[in-house]
Amino acid sequence: MSTEAQPRIAPDEGAVPPPVRHAGVWSLTWAGVRTVAALELRQRVRSTRWIVSLVVFGVVVGIVTTLTYVVARQLTGDLGTGAALDETAGRTMFGFIVFFVLFLGLLVSPTLSATSINGDRAHGTLATLQVTLLSPAEIVLGKLLASWVASLAFLAVSVPFIVWAFATGGTALVGLVTTVLLLAVVLAVVCAIGLGFSALTARTAGSAVLTYVTLAGLTVVSLIVFGLSVPLVSGVERVEVLTEDWAPGRDITFDEQGRPSEEIPCVLREEDRYVSHTERTWWLLAANPFVVVADALPPATGGAAIADPMTGIRYGVRTMRLGVQEPLDECWSAWQQWDERERDRRERADALGAVWPFGLAANLLLGAAGVVVAVRRLTIPQAKLPRGTRVA
Amino acid sequence: MSIEAHGVRRSFGAVRAVDGVDLVARPGRVTALIGPNGSGKTTLLLVLAGLLRPDAGTVRVGGVDPLADSRGARAVTGWMPDVFGTWDSLTAREVLLTFAAAYRVPDDVARPRVEELLATVHLTEYADRPAHVLSRGQKQRLGLARALVHDPQVLLLDEPASGLDPRSRVDLRVLLRDLAGRGTTILVSSHVLTELDEMADDAVFLSAGRTVATQSVRDAVTTRRPWRLRALSQRALVTWLDERGLRWRADEPFAAPAEGAGGVVVELESEEAAAALLRDAVGAGIAVTALSPATGALESTYLTLEEERR
Repeated sequence: MSTEAQPRIAPDEGAVPPPVRHAGVWSLTWAGVRTVAALELRQRVRSTRWIVSLVVFGVVVGIVTTLTYVVARQLTGDLGTGAALDETAGRTMFGFIVFFVLFLGLLVSPTLSATSINGDRAHGTLATLQVTLLSPAEIVLGKLLASWVASLAFLAVSVPFIVWAFATGGTALVGLVTTVLLLAVVLAVVCAIGLGFSALTARTAGSAVLTYVTLAGLTVVSLIVFGLSVPLVSGVERVEVLTEDWAPGRDITFDEQGRPSEEIPCVLREEDRYVSHTERTWWLLAANPFVVVADALPPATGGAAIADPMTGIRYGVRTMRLGVQEPLDECWSAWQQWDERERDRRERADALGAVWPFGLAANLLLGAAGVVVAVRRLTIPQAKLPRGTRVA
Repeated sequence: MSIEAHGVRRSFGAVRAVDGVDLVARPGRVTALIGPNGSGKTTLLLVLAGLLRPDAGTVRVGGVDPLADSRGARAVTGWMPDVFGTWDSLTAREVLLTFAAAYRVPDDVARPRVEELLATVHLTEYADRPAHVLSRGQKQRLGLARALVHDPQVLLLDEPASGLDPRSRVDLRVLLRDLAGRGTTILVSSHVLTELDEMADDAVFLSAGRTVATQSVRDAVTTRRPWRLRALSQRALVTWLDERGLRWRADEPFAAPAEGAGGVVVELESEEAAAALLRDAVGAGIAVTALSPATGALESTYLTLEEERR
């Protein structure tokens, strides 16, 4: 035997390796990001199913838009004519289509990004990319760019229908532009969240489910929690109330519709009322992408008479943010001034500032967290492996 | 530009995949990494490729520590994993161009380089076909070309010959010898040992995550190992061997030596001993038809180590 046996090393011997210096993890070049994005997009665009799903998406949005248009026209026709009514119909259609596109976008985008990293790992294509001179950030942002571009293709398919809804009136041009931009940003956030989960979990099904759960949390669960939390922030308090002065002995006559024939004077009193301090919980609604889009849409120019769902959400959330407004207005018989008081209510709500920047910031933070998680998980040499994964 | 690993250890949970590996692979030489399944070959290559952080030990690849300068080590290293996927919808040329871009090879250098590599691995006619039409062996060759796209000075190949047809195996051997001739450091893991005999200069034997032996193939050739000796008359051959006092065993141990042609296996110390035996047998009038090693040089070492382990 000319083989020389090596001395066996006891498990506790051996130099401890130096701490890993992750220099260049965040180094970014456009060429690197583009290389990864082009790789991802080529891989996807050439599968024909993708084109089919785009067409199906367009057809679905088209059908829904057409139906909404028909229904909106009918409603307008039934209720009579008037500028305010036309604007309401136009804005309702616009809001409905935008929400529908946003809903479909939230459904479609995760399928593109939430399988991106663990899917590549399962295919055995990730590690070969990691050992190249691409930085982890370039790989992650390249994948993010690719899935975002793919999501934007779905948005692009629906833009003609959004423009159609816009053309029916009631919405300012700047509203159209900001809405489409916000939709694009929300889709980017969804892609980034999906990417983060796809780096965290071994299986593509797991990351897809986690992404959908997160989106459900943002859109539906937050709304439910807000609703359920209302009793927690409510209670009977002594507040100032502007109330009608039904002085005893006053003689009031009513007309045939049951309205008092003379105006009942209103007085300011301190009384016990059940009030909700939603100014403590309004933020639960703010991060909702639907609220972000609705709140950012400029209100109708026609004033308080226009009551479409987008405006409703906008002032609903802003009023929640105001919380208890003293004095409480209980002058029910002064219905003639309803318009004026509604305008006044909206002005107060607007004075507090927009809600959507908070929501957008929260969403962007979530997206950034997704990117950071993915980059950390792709940094090599790896010390720990996600459970159930192989490096290559 | 060598590969050096000292006391490398890496475990996954309770499993000690690599448990004290020492290894040196020198430039201009092909070093074989040999060991049974689960002996830690792939994990070691992942550490060397800079993908896994070792729990202990030091690693230098092309003079660079992948822990301290991951990017610097990646720049000089080409790695071909044992199992890998391809981007199904991309053509072979696009895959190679993408990886050239990923290695920051300038486009005007990358294009001729990719054509040259496609020719080297005999995929020129498949250059514009999507990768999913490639056979397993063709994908394997594409993987090899991908590992070479940035002209690395250190090459780590994990089972490169698996799935290759005999012609491609010969091509692989010629290619690796050529690269080694130009000074590349090559580390090849495989368990097809007869192939490594002709390809490798040095061998490192792993078992249960440890380096159990290192050997140069030249040494392996001079190791005592079984040779198969064949003559026109098996009985005459056996009689002559008994007269000389040489120990032998028949291929069929329970049959009497045949009158006709047949062979026996003898243990010989070296090729010199084999030459002497042949000369003597022919001198004694034995009609020898063949004398050849019964096992490959690395295989006999491997089997010896296996026996020692039991």
